[in-house]
Amino acid sequence: MIARISYAFRETWASFKRNVTLTMAAVITSAVSLLLVGSTFLIQRAFDNLLTRWKGDVELIVYVRSDADVNQIQVIQDALNSQPAVIDVSKLRYLDQAQSYAEAQKLFAGDPGTLRLLTPENIPSQFKVVPISQDSNLIRELGEQFRSLAGVREVAYAQDVFDVVARVSQFIRIATTAMSIVLLVVAVGLIWNTIRTAMFARRREIEVMKLVGATNWFIRIPFMLEGLMQGLIGGVLSCLGLWGLNTAWSNAVADFNDTELAALVVTDGYMRFVMFILLGIGAIAGAVGSGIAATRFLDV
Amino acid sequence: MIRLENVTKTYGTEIPAVRDASFEVAKGEFVFMVGPSGSGKSTLLRLMNRQEQPERGAVWVAGKDINEMSDSKVPYLRRNIGNIFQDYKLLLNKTVFENVAFALEVIGRPKHVIRQQVPAVLDLVGLSDKEDRFPHQLSGGEQQRVSIARAFVNRPLILLADEPTGNLDPATGEGIMRLLDRINNTGTTVVMATHDQRIVNMMRRRVVQLDRGVIVRDQERGVYD
Ligand SMILES: Nc1ncnc2c1ncn2[C@@H]1O[C@H](COP(=O)(O)OP(=O)(O)OP(=O)(O)O)[C@@H](O)[C@H]1O
Ligand SMILES: [Mg+2]
Repeated sequence: MIARISYAFRETWASFKRNVTLTMAAVITSAVSLLLVGSTFLIQRAFDNLLTRWKGDVELIVYVRSDADVNQIQVIQDALNSQPAVIDVSKLRYLDQAQSYAEAQKLFAGDPGTLRLLTPENIPSQFKVVPISQDSNLIRELGEQFRSLAGVREVAYAQDVFDVVARVSQFIRIATTAMSIVLLVVAVGLIWNTIRTAMFARRREIEVMKLVGATNWFIRIPFMLEGLMQGLIGGVLSCLGLWGLNTAWSNAVADFNDTELAALVVTDGYMRFVMFILLGIGAIAGAVGSGIAATRFLDV
Repeated sequence: MIRLENVTKTYGTEIPAVRDASFEVAKGEFVFMVGPSGSGKSTLLRLMNRQEQPERGAVWVAGKDINEMSDSKVPYLRRNIGNIFQDYKLLLNKTVFENVAFALEVIGRPKHVIRQQVPAVLDLVGLSDKEDRFPHQLSGGEQQRVSIARAFVNRPLILLADEPTGNLDPATGEGIMRLLDRINNTGTTVVMATHDQRIVNMMRRRVVQLDRGVIVRDQERGVYD
């Protein structure tokens, strides 16, 4: 067993050295494509953060002053419930201060300064309103009426964020997904090619191996290992790149001090998850791609 | 040990390379396959370790129909069959020792087995003093001995030799022939394709003659023609 493993690693390393250029091309392409895959994940996550407030067709949010008493909150709720022609009363949700605080953690992920100022005590609670009417003027009119109520701190409209952000995020998502798929295909193609070249360089050995009765797996494994290493190294490089990009972006956003942009940041936990995914995709694509290539060129 | 039953093998759409061939080789037997160039000798040998598969007929080796076995079993069949070629097929970047060890290494034999069996077989072929040389530092006859050592190191039941003396001068070829004879005397079945009239006539072993893919003669203690 040990003899087999050391054999596989020796062969993998020798083949790496023999094919430096092609190997580099395969590694770099897989790194770039995985970087794009990772960016897609992060961008999507960032926009999801930004839009958390507006999940579930919420078009209007009525923020309640943190010092409002129970009666004042009840007045606002009654006023909302009295508008069944405009508002879908069944979907009306009240987020108390604790729930609003939890939501703010995402919203201000990139803005620790703001986040530090918030506590579950000073944060506004909120009513999330899903309208029935599609008429945005009507919704705005209604919202303005609430501004004058005691206990209301602020009224916000999805329209203000949504139109631009939703469209931009969708465009970016489609573009990066498409590009990363194309590049991933190219990367697998390059790995396929390195394996074919490596097998051609060793065709005499492979011929002898087959004649003396080496199993196909034995012949194939060093090549699969080579593909796996290429994919994995590409994955590691893409993780480094993604880490750098995210850090640079987070710093830039922090400088802006703009509350909307602050949501466009991804925190460490999710970043680690994405990196794990990238390494996994790199390793699997490399091993499977080269395994299929090796089988294809091995023909018993 | 080997039995062919009405075997026909055609490459592409041309006339068959082997047509309706039937014969049997007993355990421990030595057989010469002779015939003009292109008569199907190499094809017949390749049919015996499933490098080729026939369109019709069956090939039995050590009691098994080798064309019925699954692809994954073929390597284990081949561990029982050694192969020798006219062009040796040695790995040029490996020493004599490494070339022979390679055959054991790639079937997963442990190091201590390799350390014990490789020197033994190199001794048998008379190359003990040259185990650290590379193939280009050896004569043709010596290279062929390395390839015989590699084919025999795993003690196969059968040895298939395709014109093993084809590139050698008569005296060297005779030495190789004597080596194969000694291996045959250990009980290994040997099938040897050859053009070497002198050797066939000298050995007086069984001769199977092919002509355009058809077996035209099968003679005990035969001569070349
Ligand atoms: N891989 C192949 N593809 C197509 N045709 C082949 C192939 N191998 C052999 N042939 C053809 O099959 C016939 C028999 O070839 P084979 O090599 O078995 O002859 P041989 O008796 O070994 O000849 P030689 O004495 O020259 O080695 C020939 O006509 C040859 O052209
Ligand atoms: Mg031939």
